[in-house]
Formats: sequence, structure tokens, C-alpha cells
Amino acid sequence: MVALVRSELQKLFTTRLWWIMLLVMLLFTGITLAVTIGFAGVRTQGAPALPGRETLEFQQAAWTSGAGSSIFVMVLGIVMMTGEYRYQTITTTFLTTPRRGRVVTAKLVAGLLVGGLFGVAALLLTAAAVIPAVLISGGEVVLFGGGIPRIMLGVLATSALYALFGIGLGALVRNQIAAIVGAIVWVFVIEALFTAIPALQGVGKFTPSGAAQSLIAVRIDTGFGEADLLPAWAGATVLVAYALIFAVVASLTTVRRDIT
Amino acid sequence: MTAIEIRNLAKSFGPVKAVDDVSFSVDAGTITGYLGPNGAGKTTTLRCLLGLVTAERGTALVGGRPYPALEHPLTEVGAVLEATSFHPGRTARDHLRVVCTAAGLPAARADEALEQVGLAEAARKRVGEFSLGMRQRLALGTATLGRPRVLILDEPANGLDPAGIEWLRGFLRTLAHDQGVAVLVSSHVLAEVQQTVDNVVIIARGRLVHQGSLAELTGNGERPVRVHAAEADRLVPALEAKGARVERAGDGALRFYGVDAETVGQVVLDERVLVTELVRERSDLQEIFMQLTREA
Repeated sequence: MVALVRSELQKLFTTRLWWIMLLVMLLFTGITLAVTIGFAGVRTQGAPALPGRETLEFQQAAWTSGAGSSIFVMVLGIVMMTGEYRYQTITTTFLTTPRRGRVVTAKLVAGLLVGGLFGVAALLLTAAAVIPAVLISGGEVVLFGGGIPRIMLGVLATSALYALFGIGLGALVRNQIAAIVGAIVWVFVIEALFTAIPALQGVGKFTPSGAAQSLIAVRIDTGFGEADLLPAWAGATVLVAYALIFAVVASLTTVRRDIT
Repeated sequence: MTAIEIRNLAKSFGPVKAVDDVSFSVDAGTITGYLGPNGAGKTTTLRCLLGLVTAERGTALVGGRPYPALEHPLTEVGAVLEATSFHPGRTARDHLRVVCTAAGLPAARADEALEQVGLAEAARKRVGEFSLGMRQRLALGTATLGRPRVLILDEPANGLDPAGIEWLRGFLRTLAHDQGVAVLVSSHVLAEVQQTVDNVVIIARGRLVHQGSLAELTGNGERPVRVHAAEADRLVPALEAKGARVERAGDGALRFYGVDAETVGQVVLDERVLVTELVRERSDLQEIFMQLTREA
């Protein structure tokens, strides 16, 4: 199994997509960070939109920036699966390992590792931006308190688990373009609506991104009112449940299908 | 020793019976041509044999076991299925190394295999830049990574230039006749494999129409002597006396079966007939093949 996971990682790292995705993800996180830092403490119509850079609340908000990485990890997961069908490399993969369940398991483990790696990269970038920003403003850097470890873990776990969502979706849909478009519509339209519109939040908090948000929740009033979210432990459970569902979907759709 | 054994294999896709009760076997050290027109069921048979497609009925065994039951399949069976099954952005060497890792083979095998199929120079090129012939070579390199005892190839000559086809023939002959590998190679062009294969299995519309040695198929000694002459009929009595059978070709020429060219030449000389063409015809394998596959 170790060999199969290594082989899956090798597949990913011998093509270009992973670092393109990593760069895009870091760019996306960077923009979020720039906005968070830039608008910290800036007053609009009397009240600051974001807390000032010297506050703990600012640090909490800034550390959530990496959460946006999940969609990129999901796309990577989709491509790990659909790329095999698109280029028909699935034939060689299954000839090498005819017990397909093992291939799927190896892909899921590899996906978790890569997703975790992306999460770490996003957190490192966040650290590189937040720590100087706080120090320059004369604040005190908090890393091991004030809910920040929970947020860091939340970003890491979300990133890792979204890779599994991608692999499961890819196994189900198999058409790369359809799967990626589906994922983007889901994350940026459907989930965005369900987690943003207060009337829909009762459902939205059970979607993957709703559950993910509960892990990194920061109690700041941005003028929209507090979001209706699950407690962090429940959010984590919901996320893991999704990951398990996607893993089962990936296995069931792959194990018996004819490869023609 | 039987290396591949297919018994009563059947598989349908919807209403189409792709493979219908097909049985045949391939022995170690021989090359078997698996022939049939496009859509005859060749690819489906091979994919059932390799565990990629689940058969409805029958068994397909390699080395006495179904493919998915093999512990280290690449060291027992190598397969070349489509020329396009590579990620275009991955280099040839990386492609082979990925397979080596998954199969538990040393990474050094990747470079050896590239050397073997003549791709050492292109090892670090992305497969997207490869010609179809180079992809076929890379596919062959992948198939032989684990030094298997059984090699299965689906239309391997597609996209190869004449030099490439000649190279492929030599490659397969060495593997089968010198190293004892059992080779099963499919093709829709009989002439393509005619010079390479020991045995032929012919399939049409999913059903087996012929199985045996190449010699059996062509019928030994059935190569006629074709004579074109204005007064060719004058040759007939003398040649019939020597045991020849006569057949009229469409263009006015005569075909004499059961005699050799020298006998015919002697009769021509004795009868003083002006001959414009006298040739020992190749038995028309393609014609036999077309006939067999039409009848099915």
C-alpha cells in the first residue's frame, strides 16, 4: 500500500498541474490576506469593517485566509481521478494493480497528504504576512491561544478533506470538465448562497463549506450579523462524514466498472 | 505449456454480443495472431482476459489464474492496449517510474526498458511530443517492465512506419522464440502479422471462425501457377495428364493447382505456346481471411 501511495504521489508530482494549483492557491490566499490586512481598522461609515491590526480578533480573522485553498485542493483531487480516465492511464493503473479498491485507497491517502501539504503552504504564507503585520502595528503575536490553533487545524483539515471530496466527485463524474465546473458551481454558487443568506443557513451549516466554516469561525460582527454555524466538533464530524461518503462513492463507482 | 486459456467467453454491451462463446489457447514460446475485422470483438476479448472488462460467461486465464488474482501481474503478463494511454505532460521515464513504483519494481528497470525499445534518447521528453510510433514503443516498454512470460498486444502495428513494423516483428520473435514468452497479438490486417505469427485465431462478429497454425489456414501446396497466354488452353490436356487442376482467373489467365512452375514451364516449351506471364502465385491469405470473416 505504501508503494501504491508513493506511485500516486509520483503521478501528481511528475505533471505540472500541482504547482500551478499551488501558485494559484497561494495567490488567492495572498489576496485574501492583503484585503484583511489592508482594511484592518479602516473606518467605513463610522465603524471599522475589520478589527485593528493590534487586536486578537484581527489575528483570528487573518488566520482564516487559507480556508479559500479548499477549492483548489478539490480541483486537484478531481484531476487525480478524472485525469486517469481522460488520458486512459487508468488502463495501465489497473493492469498494474488489478485490485481496484487498493488503487482508490491509495489515491485517497495521497489526496489527504497533498491536501494537508496545501493547507500547510497556505498557513506558512499566512504566518509570513500576519506576524510582521501584527508586530509592525505594535500588537502581540498570538499563536497558541485565542482560538488560533483551532483555526489553523481547521484550515489544515478542510484542505486535506476537500482533496477527498474531489477524488470522490471525480470517480462519480469521470468527465474532467464537468466535474470541475460542477465543483466550482457548488462551492461558489450553491454553498455560497446557503451559507451567506441567513434564511438558508439552517441548511447551509450542514454543507461541506458550512461545516468547514464552523472550524474556523471567528466571532466578529462584519455588519451582516453572526452566521448560523455548527459547533466546531459537529462541523468536524460533518466534514469527516462527507469525506467518508465521497470515499465510498469513489470505491463503488470504480471497482466494478468496465474499462473499455 | 498453456499460457493463456480462454473458455466459452461471452460479453455483451447492451444488445450487441461483442464476444460470443469464444475459446482458444496460447502456448508458451509461440506467437498467436488474433485476427478479425474492426469491431469483431478482439479488444473486448483481450480486455476480459486482463480483468478490465467483466465477462458475462466463461473463463479467461493467464498462467492458470484469472488476471485480477495475480499477485504481481506485471511480472507475469505485459499488455499493450492503446497507443494513447499516457499523460501528455509526463516524460517517458517518469511514466515508467510511476509504474515501477506501483508494481514494486526497481526504478532502474525504467531506464533498461527505454533502452530496450530504443527510446533512451527521448527518456526525458514529455509524451505529448511523441509520435504515434514512439508511443507504441513506450507502451511496449511499459508492458515488458516486469519481464513477463505472457505478452498481449492489441493492434500494436497501428501507427508504426514500415521500419517500425519490421522492428516490432523482430522484437516479438526474439521474445517468443528465444525467451519462451507466449505472445498474443491482435490485428485487423492479416498481411501485417502473417510473417510473424505461428498460429492464428480468427474472430468475426464475436464468434470464432478459425483456429490453427498459419500453414493450416493457407493450405500447404495450394499455391497455383498462373499462366497468361493467348493459346493457354493448349496447355491444359498435358498439364491435366500430370495431375494439375485448372481454374480460370477472371482476366483470361489460367491457374494450375497441384503442379510446380517448372512442370508448367516444361509443358509450355513442349507445346511451343507464347506465354506473356508465368508466375507462382502467393496463396492469397487476405482473400482467405475475407472469406472466413464474411461467412460468419
